[in-house]
Amino acid sequence: MAFIKLNDLEVEVEDGTNVVEAARLHGIEVPHYCYHPGLSRPANCRMCLVEPHVFFPPAGAIVPDRQLATGCTTVLRTAPPNRKLDGKYDFIVYTDSPRVKKAREDILEFLLVHHPLDCPVCDQAGECDLQDFTYRHGHDKSRYLEVKNVPPKKDLGPDVLLYSTRCIVCTRCIRFCQEVSGSNELGLIHRGSHDEIDIPRSHDGMPLQLLDNKLAGNVVDICPVGALISKDFLFKSRPWFMKQEKSVCAGCSVGCNITVEYKEDGVYRLKPRFHEEINQHWMCDDGRLGYGYVNSDDRLQLPMKRVDGEFQPTHWADALTQITEKLSEADAEKVVVIGSAQGTNEDNYVLQQFAHEVLKTEHLGLFGALPGEEHTFPQFTIEADKNPNTAGARKMLSNGTPVLEGEALWKKVSEADIVYLVSGAPERSLEAEEKAVLESVDFLIVQDVLPSEVTALADVVLPGTTFAEKDGTFTNSKGWVQRIRKTVDAPGEARIDWEIIQQLARQLGGEMNYHFAGEISLAISENVSGYAEATHQNIGDSGVKLAE
Amino acid sequence: MVEEKRILYEHLDVPEIHTFDVFRQHDGYACFEKAVADYQPDDIAKMVMDSGLKGRGGAGFSTGLKWSFVPKDIKPCYLCCNADESEPGTFSNRYVLEKNPHLLIEGILICCYAMGIETTYVYIRGEFTLGKKRLDAAIKAAYANGYLGKNIRGTGLNVDIYTHPGAGAYICGEETGLIESLEGKRGQPRNKPPFPAVEGVFRKPTVVQNVETLCNLPFIVGNGVEWYTKMGPTYGDARFDPPKPDPNTGTKLYCISGDVNKPGVYELELGLTCAELIEVAGGLRGEQVKAVIPGGSSAPILTHYELDTRLDFTSLTLAKSMLGSGGIIVMNETRNIVDCLLNIMKFYAHESCGQCTPCRWGTPWVRDIVQRIADGNGRKSTITRPKFGIAENGRWGDTGETEDIYEDLDLLESVANNIANVDTMTWNTICVFGIAVSWPAVSYMRKFRPEFEATIREGKLTTLSVEEATVPPEENYAYQQRIVPRELE
Repeated sequence: MAFIKLNDLEVEVEDGTNVVEAARLHGIEVPHYCYHPGLSRPANCRMCLVEPHVFFPPAGAIVPDRQLATGCTTVLRTAPPNRKLDGKYDFIVYTDSPRVKKAREDILEFLLVHHPLDCPVCDQAGECDLQDFTYRHGHDKSRYLEVKNVPPKKDLGPDVLLYSTRCIVCTRCIRFCQEVSGSNELGLIHRGSHDEIDIPRSHDGMPLQLLDNKLAGNVVDICPVGALISKDFLFKSRPWFMKQEKSVCAGCSVGCNITVEYKEDGVYRLKPRFHEEINQHWMCDDGRLGYGYVNSDDRLQLPMKRVDGEFQPTHWADALTQITEKLSEADAEKVVVIGSAQGTNEDNYVLQQFAHEVLKTEHLGLFGALPGEEHTFPQFTIEADKNPNTAGARKMLSNGTPVLEGEALWKKVSEADIVYLVSGAPERSLEAEEKAVLESVDFLIVQDVLPSEVTALADVVLPGTTFAEKDGTFTNSKGWVQRIRKTVDAPGEARIDWEIIQQLARQLGGEMNYHFAGEISLAISENVSGYAEATHQNIGDSGVKLAE
Repeated sequence: MVEEKRILYEHLDVPEIHTFDVFRQHDGYACFEKAVADYQPDDIAKMVMDSGLKGRGGAGFSTGLKWSFVPKDIKPCYLCCNADESEPGTFSNRYVLEKNPHLLIEGILICCYAMGIETTYVYIRGEFTLGKKRLDAAIKAAYANGYLGKNIRGTGLNVDIYTHPGAGAYICGEETGLIESLEGKRGQPRNKPPFPAVEGVFRKPTVVQNVETLCNLPFIVGNGVEWYTKMGPTYGDARFDPPKPDPNTGTKLYCISGDVNKPGVYELELGLTCAELIEVAGGLRGEQVKAVIPGGSSAPILTHYELDTRLDFTSLTLAKSMLGSGGIIVMNETRNIVDCLLNIMKFYAHESCGQCTPCRWGTPWVRDIVQRIADGNGRKSTITRPKFGIAENGRWGDTGETEDIYEDLDLLESVANNIANVDTMTWNTICVFGIAVSWPAVSYMRKFRPEFEATIREGKLTTLSVEEATVPPEENYAYQQRIVPRELE
């Protein structure tokens, strides 16, 4: 630990922390643009200048006055005993001295020289570092009389637009493409005040390579100004009109921490949230843009039953009564209950309890989205398993007996009379073999969020909820149990999955009385081995790692 | 009457000296052979330190000291020869490369021997086509005669030299910009520390030396430290008690251009005055010296009041200017300083690499302001303000008079100082390009303010007489702390 004098504070920081981070830890803002904790530090924006108490020039160099240092590259370390300052400090640094304040004003003035005043139509307004820092540290008027540079607007790739006029050339996006995605699509063209970010182009301006890697969306997040803009979010909402909730991405088994930004009428965007061991600062575009089904107009809003081969919407009482009648008559050996790797641990735990205690069946299976492709980047991995909770669901469903998966599951289903299938995987297509087996089932109950090939085979369809509409926990492939939180309301009469199951259980005479997901997680922590710590109270924002 | 006396570059004008045979006939490579035969590598490093050799590239940093920063235990270590000479007004490296490339190779060999270096890169300015051709031929001849390659002349020393042409960027003459460019990246200077001596080419310790610095090495080794230190003044650094020796030893290739009768490269001992140098170069062309740029276009300008300034590293630093690369540009009474500044600012605005904010957007802004003034559109306020200067009590303060407010001159000074502060010598930029911009901008404006004011008043470029255009030293606060160093006894 290094003992630092930071302005008038005396603080201890870990060796190797830079001044920006040390100040942030103690509630002091050091404005910066080019510095990003997940990227290298070129110190080119010069915004984070701080005044070190002493500057150690190489012996003999003529440095008559103290040079301001960039906070991002000034790393704090424990000094040897004979180098302590004032006898005790390892370093003394001022982030609010008159010279620092003057330097910030000057740098902001330069940044604004060519920056257009189009905040009223800029997507970034409200979450723009340039806007915020100018407001807090900058001049109130411009002394620039000359003509501003107007570089062109560019279409960089499937989801990214570049408004070059707004760009402050911090090169965060370039470094991201070099260091994290390793795909090197972006670079600088021209020189000096004509610097522009661009993709490789031929001489006549045709793109040779697009910014279309699976992590491209992150450059929009890390852009400190409104230069890089997501086409998906373009002109959709002002940031301050959206509510935010911390959640976990349901796109694959990595379990990236995200912030869901939403309004009453739906989810507007997903943004990655820092988690040191899972996703650092990033998320993939599959996850980022994969929320569309939540807002879909096709969502299942009412229970449906099959009458003369046609689906008819019905009401919950009718649908549940029909199911109860079938289940109460059925032979327990001929009932298969299939949980979903898309569902939360709570959903699957309640389903397991329902199967064992009420239906008395041992045949529990696991269903989920079809596997995709694995993508590996220098600092990021997208996993092939496209379900957020495979590990958790498997654990919740297997209470004594192993969970049926793959061929074993379909074999068991082919022998069954009644199958209760919780899907939740949006628009899941079925392979021929799976389809044949499910068609042969006498009475198929499907609980899902969107019409799909699975619901098309059902006798009764129950409308469930997506990750954005319920509370719960997901367990990722590395054993991290993390919270998802309810944001928007479920469409129509769709209900939270475990509530549907609990209702069925009660109608069949079971005793189940959960009021909210946290209560189920307490039951899980008591009854499922390894999950003792994984209650909602303990999990917090960053999750709990299960013991190996 | 001072005359040019070639000492180090005695054979520079020998016909065909660029060929190996002619070079050998003039004792070529004898100093290298002497170095290997008579001295250990550490002895040579010590000789260079004792000689007080200062880097000739611009910053004037002690070569011996730079070598001492190189970690001994990290190998490989590289030598980078900076031949990317692009400072306006400087052309000495080009002269050496075209005339006597073998001298450079000999210097490189001595440096490599002293530092245990096996690989050298010569980053040569792309426009030096003849220089590169001659150097490549010289390197080929040296390989053929066993002065380069493996086991040189049976000494067990291995040295390879690679030449790398630049692509035309001024900033690639900055040592870390040069390294980035050499590595194949965009020529943008790195943050320091770490300095190249610790982490340079390919993240390995690197010695970066100018062509001229390396050309000094054979003579330090060949003739001894004592012989070398007799040339040039050694000052006492008054910040220490007793004054610390501040050597400005050796000779320098001064490149003199502008309004003199015989412009060109002159080898002279360090420490002669500006006036003497103009005399050496055939005297002034014109009536009167108006201004002298002492060290390439980025150095602060000297007025005709300052012609007694000695042209060496210490004197010019204390006169708030710099020797830089030794590119001296003389201007006579017909020159318009606003126009000169515009010319220089156009160059810097074009050459800013665009990496860091103040320089990227500050340099074109400064250029635009000067352009506006030169076009006759400079702004002058209708109100006046109290004039500051030497007050009645003899100290700096309110003089009781009023002065006109020239808004664009204030803006020019403020913007330039925001890139790099000339008064405190601190810069907000990554490299010293920032100060290379604001130094001329602020010094021209302060020292020749009447000419700028006249241009704004008249609405067109207006050239005043020398006396009218120059601010007298006693009225100019840029001179207030001008110190003339004293030579050690």
